[in-house]
Amino acid sequence: MIDVSIILAGLGDAFSLTNLLFVVAGVAMGQFVGALPGTGPVMAMAVAIPFTFVLDPLAAIAFLVGVNKGGLFGGAIPAILINTPGTPDAAATALDGHPLARKGKPVKAMKMALFSSVTGDTFSDIVLITISAPLAVVALKMGPVETCALMIFAFSIIAGLIGDSLIKGLIAAVLGLFFAMVGLDPEHGTPRLYFGYFELFDGLPLTAVAIGMLAVAEIFRRLANIAGRIKPTISIPEKQEKKDKNVSWAEYWSCRYTMLRGAVIGTLLGAIPGIGSTAAAFMSYASTKQASKEPETFGKGNIQGVAATESANSAVMGANLIPLLALGIPGSIGAALLISAFKIHGIQPGPLLFEQQGRLIYGLFGAMMMANLMNLLIGQASLRLWTKIISAPESLVFSSALILCITGVYVSTGGIFGVAVMLVFAVMGYLMNLFGYSVVIFIIAFFLGDKFELSLSQTLVILDGDLLAVIHYPVALALLMLALVSTWWLGIHAPRKSRRQTRDSSLD
Amino acid sequence: MKLKTLFAGVTASLLMIFTAQADWAPSGPITLQIGFDAGGETDTLGRVIAGEMEKQTGWDIVVENKPGGGGIAMFTGLAVAKPDGQTLGMGVNMPILVNLVLRGDKLPFKLDSFDYLATVARAQVAIVAKSDAPFDDLAGLVEYSKANGGALVAFDAKPQELLMKYVDAEAGAGFKLISTKSSAEALQNLLGGHVVASFAAGAHIPYIESGDVKMIASANATRHGYAAETPTVVEQGYEIYVDPYFFIAAPAGLPSDAKAALAAALHKAITSNVAKKAIVNSLKTDPSDLGPDGTQKMLVDGVGNVKKLFGK
Repeated sequence: MIDVSIILAGLGDAFSLTNLLFVVAGVAMGQFVGALPGTGPVMAMAVAIPFTFVLDPLAAIAFLVGVNKGGLFGGAIPAILINTPGTPDAAATALDGHPLARKGKPVKAMKMALFSSVTGDTFSDIVLITISAPLAVVALKMGPVETCALMIFAFSIIAGLIGDSLIKGLIAAVLGLFFAMVGLDPEHGTPRLYFGYFELFDGLPLTAVAIGMLAVAEIFRRLANIAGRIKPTISIPEKQEKKDKNVSWAEYWSCRYTMLRGAVIGTLLGAIPGIGSTAAAFMSYASTKQASKEPETFGKGNIQGVAATESANSAVMGANLIPLLALGIPGSIGAALLISAFKIHGIQPGPLLFEQQGRLIYGLFGAMMMANLMNLLIGQASLRLWTKIISAPESLVFSSALILCITGVYVSTGGIFGVAVMLVFAVMGYLMNLFGYSVVIFIIAFFLGDKFELSLSQTLVILDGDLLAVIHYPVALALLMLALVSTWWLGIHAPRKSRRQTRDSSLD
Repeated sequence: MKLKTLFAGVTASLLMIFTAQADWAPSGPITLQIGFDAGGETDTLGRVIAGEMEKQTGWDIVVENKPGGGGIAMFTGLAVAKPDGQTLGMGVNMPILVNLVLRGDKLPFKLDSFDYLATVARAQVAIVAKSDAPFDDLAGLVEYSKANGGALVAFDAKPQELLMKYVDAEAGAGFKLISTKSSAEALQNLLGGHVVASFAAGAHIPYIESGDVKMIASANATRHGYAAETPTVVEQGYEIYVDPYFFIAAPAGLPSDAKAALAAALHKAITSNVAKKAIVNSLKTDPSDLGPDGTQKMLVDGVGNVKKLFGK
């Protein structure tokens, strides 16, 4: 058991002026790079790590944690304001955040995103600080077979997002899985579909595909629709009522179950390495929509949608540290970068971390709490700035966003090849939007595709090719059952119901 | 006053020695290309070494990430860069060797497309099992596998899989090999009891200290410093090993004075205290610079070893 004096000493270390400055710098930088499409907190952390070599370990880690947390909220800003998510995990935020902005309530949407982001984050941090050790042991029991079943379950939940046409949704999903196949196959390391480009050995660069499909395609669409006259990107009524600008306590409180659900989903998926915040955001969104009494209002500016996604994707961050601190296993790229930061400072995450570095870890927890608070304060202050930017003419905003996308992807993928990939997928995203194929479904399938393939091939080796042997894995079996139920419920039952409703209302 | 003159004299003569040693100097900034993403081990080490070199020589060094195919994308570009000593590349030997052996005719470069300057360090690859496993060495693992209808072994890189297949072919153990994305994932599967043995490259060391994990063999050509009592795979009777080296190369045709100056500068940076600390912290091993000739030999010998891994 860890001595209370160590906990206090650690927290005392954290709450110093130097660390506060580093946290503030990190959060501000994170929000900024998160908000610029193409760059993201992961890239900012990667670039910052070597520079932290000269810092004191706690200050360095506090800074990186600040960047990560700031970035989680930052990504939501452009998603809400101009429908171009700054980071892939904010893609789901755009679904309801942007319609709200178009209704003239961008500030309200951003505030809700900020509040739910900080809420989800704080929730998972508390879980991390209090029960990370037992949770990590449970997460260890999730082997390849269970992970594979969990992915199938995730796919089935996301079926709830398919929309009007089942066929078009399936086509989008299959396309996503198809593009996820590019690169070395996980089983034998044979390169597939690389057409002589060695850059494709590791698969299509994730950032390039996501930014191309989500952000650049939207920029194309908006630029194509500009019809001569100069108008602001989003028009906010000059004399706006206070309730359209602020999130009242009643509104925040009405989202409590949504945020709690999001935080729990994010925390659970975060504790299991490899699934990631994008999937968590969409799962939370889909299940909130399903649980809602008025699912048809989602996608048209329902504030619950913003709360669902932001609480979930931010909760992943804290929970990612559960396997990292307790076992030395990173749950995401961001966490992997934190590990390398730990390592270059001579700290080896793993079973002895709390014993050997208890003071530092409680210092880290202190810094995380500080970062949550700073995220809230800096976010509140910077909202006004971002709102000013979008009152500029849309031709100006979107063309600068395009330049940012290109430079961001150039830097993060290490060359012009990534930019080419981004543009190809931008055209594809534009066409898919035009013909009513869900880009969101494509992106989720693409994101989960390679992890799903890997866990499927691991599962087949473990089961010796005998699929029925899955009955020896009760957790996996339960997840597969849940997947069946939710496929029926979300994919067959609910659409039928909504079709019936439309028919009834048209008869009236 | 006298002291000052003495200082000035000493400084001047030191300066002369240094300028005499390094009569080559780059005419502009040197670009060090990293064959992997930012934030990984190669990147971290590359940036630390570049920083040290910049401090020691006064040259401008820019670090760029060119990820793709385990370094193939970066070396493809490096092979056609101008050999003026101002474009260098850092990568890991294993993916290069594997691709040279498997699809050498399709690669846009060969081993002699580069002039080799230095190695940075050798990664230590171990085969580990949970400490309550009913075996302590490879022979025991083979027996266990035979008795239990195939033991599950996790790996995260092709050469590890091939090494295990080599052992399997010799011993008829019937291993079932599980491919994972990282050695952390492999270790996670081991700790969770989903596999009985796993490859690991450093992350297992704290678990050895805590008593959760034991080491079955060193998969390198030699034993590991932190576990000197555990024999290598070769010592346990299978003539096979993997030796992943981090190395630095330049396009072939480097002028000899530039090559000498760069190799000397790199050696100084790699063995500096700052770089040493970074290498020890991230790889749990000491820096080992084999120098230009040693690096070249390591790669040429490596082709032979990887061919053997593939049974060619």
